[in-house]
Amino acid sequence: MTPVYFSFTSAFTLGLMGLAFHRTHLLSALLCLEGMMLSLFIALALWMLQLESTTFSAAPILLLAFSACEAGAGLALLVATARTHGTDRLQALNLLQC
Amino acid sequence: MSPYVITILLSSLGLGTALTFMSSHWLLAWMGLEINTLAILPLMAQHHHPRAVEATTKYFLAQAAAAATILFASTINAWATGEWNIYCLTHPIATTLITMALALKVGLAPVHFWMPPVMQGLDLPTGLIMATWQKLAPFALIIQMAPTAHPQLLTTLGLLSVFIGGWGGLNQTQLRKILAYSSIAHLGWMIVIAQFKPQLTILTLVIYIIMTSATFLTFKLMTATKINTLAMSWSKAPIITTMAALTLLSLGGLPPLTGFMPKWLILQELATQGLPLTATIMALSALLSLYFYLRLWYAMTLTISPNTNNSLAPWRLQNTQNTTLLTIFMIATLLLLPLTPLAQALI
Repeated sequence: MTPVYFSFTSAFTLGLMGLAFHRTHLLSALLCLEGMMLSLFIALALWMLQLESTTFSAAPILLLAFSACEAGAGLALLVATARTHGTDRLQALNLLQC
Repeated sequence: MSPYVITILLSSLGLGTALTFMSSHWLLAWMGLEINTLAILPLMAQHHHPRAVEATTKYFLAQAAAAATILFASTINAWATGEWNIYCLTHPIATTLITMALALKVGLAPVHFWMPPVMQGLDLPTGLIMATWQKLAPFALIIQMAPTAHPQLLTTLGLLSVFIGGWGGLNQTQLRKILAYSSIAHLGWMIVIAQFKPQLTILTLVIYIIMTSATFLTFKLMTATKINTLAMSWSKAPIITTMAALTLLSLGGLPPLTGFMPKWLILQELATQGLPLTATIMALSALLSLYFYLRLWYAMTLTISPNTNNSLAPWRLQNTQNTTLLTIFMIATLLLLPLTPLAQALI
C-alpha cells in the first residue's frame, strides 16, 4: 500500500464515518460529503498521473463539476430545511418516523 | 411548477437512467446516477411542505453517500487492476462495497431505513416515480456486476429484505409506508436470483413495476393515503375498489394473478440450483407480506367501515381523472399469468 493510496483511502473512510456517526448538523453532513468527493478527486487525478493516461484527464474535472452540483443541491436543501424546521439539526428531522 | 421546468426535470430523469443503461465505464454509470438523483430532488421538494423537504433531505443524503461509495470502490478497483469496465470488477473489497452501495441506493434490507420515511413524505405521483423508475438504473448495474459479486452477500441481502419487508409492514396504517415495505420485499426477491439467472431479475422488476404502478394509480384515483380513507372508497368508485382488491392480491403473489409468475419462476430456479432452504425461507416470508395486503383488502372490500359517510353522491358522479394508464397497468396486473410459458421461452 503506497502512501498516496493510504491517504486518499483513509480520507474517504473518515468522511464516510463522519457522515454515518456524527449526526448533529446537516451542514456537517454536507461537509463530510464534500470531503469524500474531494478525496475521490485526488484519487482520480493521481491515478491518471500514475498511469500517464491522457484520455482520462477530463475525468477529475467532470467529477469536480458533479460534486459541485451536488453540494449546491445540498445547500439548497439546507436552506429549505432551515425554513421549514427552523434549525439545521438532524434531530429535528423527525416528522416521518415509523 | 412551470411546465418548462417539469419537462427539463423529467427528461433529465430519463436521460440519467439512459446514461447508466448505456455505459460500460464506472465513471459514466456514476454520472447517470448523479443526474438521476439531482433531477428528482426538485420534483420531491416542489410542494414546500415540511414533510416533503425532510424526505428530500433524507433521500439526498442516502443517495449522495451511496453514489460516492460506488465511485470510491471503482477507484480502488482501478488502482488495483487498472480497469474501469463494469464487467471487470475483480477486487474483493471493491465488489463488496459496490454491492452494499447499490443496496443502499435501491433500499435493500440492512440499509433500507431511508426508504419508508422518504416514501411517506412524497405525494403519490412522485412516490410512483420513486418506487419504479428510480430502481431501474441501480438494477442495471446490479445485474451487470452480479456474476462477480459475493454470492453469500447477495443471498443474505435478499433473504433479509424479504423478511424485513414483510415484518416492517405489519404494523403500518399509512399506505405509502406499506408500499415502501412491499417494495423492499420485492427487491429482495430480485436480488436473490440475480446471481443465478439475471433474466429472471429483469422479469421480476418489470412485473413489480407494473403491479406497483397499478396500486399507486388506484390510490391516486381515490386520493387515499391511509387505510381509513381506503375503507371509504366503495362510495367513490365501487368497480375500481373491487379491481384494486385483486391488484393487492397480485402484489402478494397469489396464483391466478400476475404476481405469482415471478415468485413461481424464482422458487423453481432456487430449487433447481439446490437451495431448498433459501427457497423455503423466501416462500414463508412472503406470507408476512401477504398478511398486510390482506389487511388492506379486508378494509376495502370485506367490511363496512365504521366511519360515517357524508354523502353517497360521489357514487353517482362521473370520474374526471384520466384512467387510461390505470386500466392498462391493472389489466396487466391481473391477467398476465397465462403468458408464463412465453416468459420462460424468452429467458
